[in-house]
Amino acid sequence: MRGMLGVFAELDATVAAIEDLKKGKVGDLTVFSPTPRHELEHAVHPPMSGVRKFTLIGALSGVTFGFWVAIWGSNYWPLVVGGKAISTWLPYVVFGFEVMVMVGALSTVFGMFYLAGIPRLTMTVGYDPRFSYGSYGIFCECAPERQAEAEAILRRHGAVEVRGER
Amino acid sequence: MATLAHPDEPRRPNIASADIQLPAVTSYEQVDDEILAILKPTKAWFGALLLALACLGLGAFSWIYQIHQGLGVAGYNPPVMWGVYIITFVFWVGIGHAGTLISAVLYLFRAGFRTTIYRAAEAMTVFAVMTAGLFPIIHIGRPWKFFWLIPYPNWRLIWPNFKSPLVWDVFAITTYLTISTTFLFVGLIPDIAVLRDRETNPIRRRILGVLSFGWRNTEREWRHFARAYLFLAAFSTPLVLSVHSVVSFDFAMGIVPGWHTTIFPPYFVAGAIFSGFAMVWTIIIPMRRWFGLRHYVTLNHLDASAKMVLFTSLAVGLAYLIEFFIAWYGGVQYEQDYFWNRVFGQWWWAAWIMLTCNMILPLSLFSQKLRRNPTWLWILSIFINIGMWFERFVIVVPSLSRDVEPWQWSSYVPTWVDYGLLIGSFGWFFMWFLLFIKQLPVMALAEIKEIIPPKMKHTHGHGGH
Repeated sequence: MRGMLGVFAELDATVAAIEDLKKGKVGDLTVFSPTPRHELEHAVHPPMSGVRKFTLIGALSGVTFGFWVAIWGSNYWPLVVGGKAISTWLPYVVFGFEVMVMVGALSTVFGMFYLAGIPRLTMTVGYDPRFSYGSYGIFCECAPERQAEAEAILRRHGAVEVRGER
Repeated sequence: MATLAHPDEPRRPNIASADIQLPAVTSYEQVDDEILAILKPTKAWFGALLLALACLGLGAFSWIYQIHQGLGVAGYNPPVMWGVYIITFVFWVGIGHAGTLISAVLYLFRAGFRTTIYRAAEAMTVFAVMTAGLFPIIHIGRPWKFFWLIPYPNWRLIWPNFKSPLVWDVFAITTYLTISTTFLFVGLIPDIAVLRDRETNPIRRRILGVLSFGWRNTEREWRHFARAYLFLAAFSTPLVLSVHSVVSFDFAMGIVPGWHTTIFPPYFVAGAIFSGFAMVWTIIIPMRRWFGLRHYVTLNHLDASAKMVLFTSLAVGLAYLIEFFIAWYGGVQYEQDYFWNRVFGQWWWAAWIMLTCNMILPLSLFSQKLRRNPTWLWILSIFINIGMWFERFVIVVPSLSRDVEPWQWSSYVPTWVDYGLLIGSFGWFFMWFLLFIKQLPVMALAEIKEIIPPKMKHTHGHGGH
C-alpha cells in the first residue's frame, strides 16, 4: 500500500482535488474528514451503504427467535391454568419486539464494523492525527510512476502538506 | 433542516441535526480544545466525587446491614410489600428515558437542540438503568439468588411464566440497557479517536486506540456509521415507548385499586420523559456554568427543552386528572374510595407534593422569561425529580396499603435502611457520571463539528454549509 497523502485545511480545496484525481484516474482514493460531509461523499460518489441488509436480517432473526423462545418455553415447561391457552400470541409480542430490537440493533453495529473495515489493527499508512482535529485528507494509492502526478494535483489544489506513504 | 432531503446527496443522513446555530463556535479546532479541556480534573470535581462516594458508602452499608439482618429492617409492613425499592426502581428507569429520547427520537425529528446535550443524556441513561437494575436485586432480600429473575427453563421447579409482566420487564430492561449502551458507545467511537490522536501517554494512547477500533475518519467509515446510526435511532424510538409501557404493566396487570387501568402505559412514558429531562437539566445546567460551555448549551437549547418539559408536564397532569375522572365515571366504589384517600386521606401529603411539583410548578414554563432562566430551570428540575419520585410513591404505596379488603388496610413507614439505599443510589449514579465526564467527551465532537461551517478556500466554492 503506497501512495501520496495530502493534508488540506479547506473543504472546497479537498473536493476539487478529489475531482481532479478521479478525472485523471491516478489511483484509489481514501478521503479523511473530522466530521461527515456531504460534499466529500458527493465527490467520492461511493455506493450506498449495505448496513440495511444486516439490519433487516438481524431484525427478522430476532423477532423469530423472540416468539419461538416464548412459545417453546411455554410448551416444554407448561404452566397449566384452567381455561387458558398454554402459549398465546398477544403477550408474546413483547418478547418478539424486544428481541427484534436487540438482535436487529446489534447486527446493525456488526454490519457497520464489517463494512467500514473496523476494528483496524494498523492505521499508520495514509493517516495523520490532524484528520481527527480540523484537517481533511486524501490518500491516493497509486503506482510509483504516478506519484508525481498525484503530488502535483494535491499541491495545485492547496494541500498544506504532501508526503509519500508506504 | 432534514438532511435526508439534501439535493446533492440524498443517500446518507447527517449524524447531526443541522437547524441550529452556535455563533460563538467558529472552528473544528475550537470544539476539540474547549470540550476536551473539561477532561482535566478540578478540585470541585474531586469534591463532588467524594460526596458521591460518601452517599454510595451509606447505601452499601445499608445494604450489607439488610443482608445481615434480613429484609424486615426495610420497613415492609404487609400488605405493603413493595416500597422504596420498587419506587426507586421505577424512578431510575424513568430517568433513563430522556437519554434515548434525546438521542434517537429527537434525532429522527431533526430537533437541533439535542446536538450538544445528547451525549450527557445518553450517559445518564446508561447509568440510570444500571442503577435501576440494582433495585430488584436489593428488593428480593437474598441477592445471591438474583439469577432466578432471569427467565430460562431450569430444573429448580421455577419455570418462566412468559405471560407475567415481571418476565416482560426483564426482557425490556435488558434490551434497553444493551441498546442504550450500544448507542452511547457507537457514538463515542469517533470521539475516542480524537482523544487517541491528542493523547501523549503511550499506555492511555494504546487503550484509546483499542477502544476506538482503529477509527480513521475515512469517508467510508462515516458513510456506514451514519447509516447505522440512523437505524439504531429507528430501533431505539419504539424501544423508548415500549420499556416504560412494560414497566407500567407491572402495575396495570394487577387487580389492585389505582393500578388496574389502561392509561398507565402512556402515562408512564410521558412521566419518564418528563423526569428524564429534569435530570438532564440537573446535570447540564451546572456543567455549562462550571465548564464554561454556555456557548454550546445556549439559552435557546434550554428554552427548547423547557417546552418539551412543559408539554410532558401537561401530559402527565392530564393523566392524573383522567385517573380521577375514570374513578368517578367508572362507578367502582373501591376505586373512588382509593382516589379520595390518595388526595384527601391518609396519603394527602405525598399526593400534593406530586401534584405541586409535577403539575403546578412546571406551569411557570409558559413564561418565556423563566424558560430562559437557567437558575429557575435548575431549581425546577430538583422539584420535578422530587415530584416524580413521589408520583411513584403515590402509585405504589397507597394502592397496596388500602386494598379491596378493609381488614388488611395498613400503612407504610420507610426506615433508615430504605433512605440509606435511596441516597446510595444517587451516589452510585453520580459516581459513574462524574467518572465518565473526566474520561470521555461529554459532548459529541463530530456532531458539533458537523453543524459548524467548514473552512473554505473560496467563499462561493463547493458545498458550503
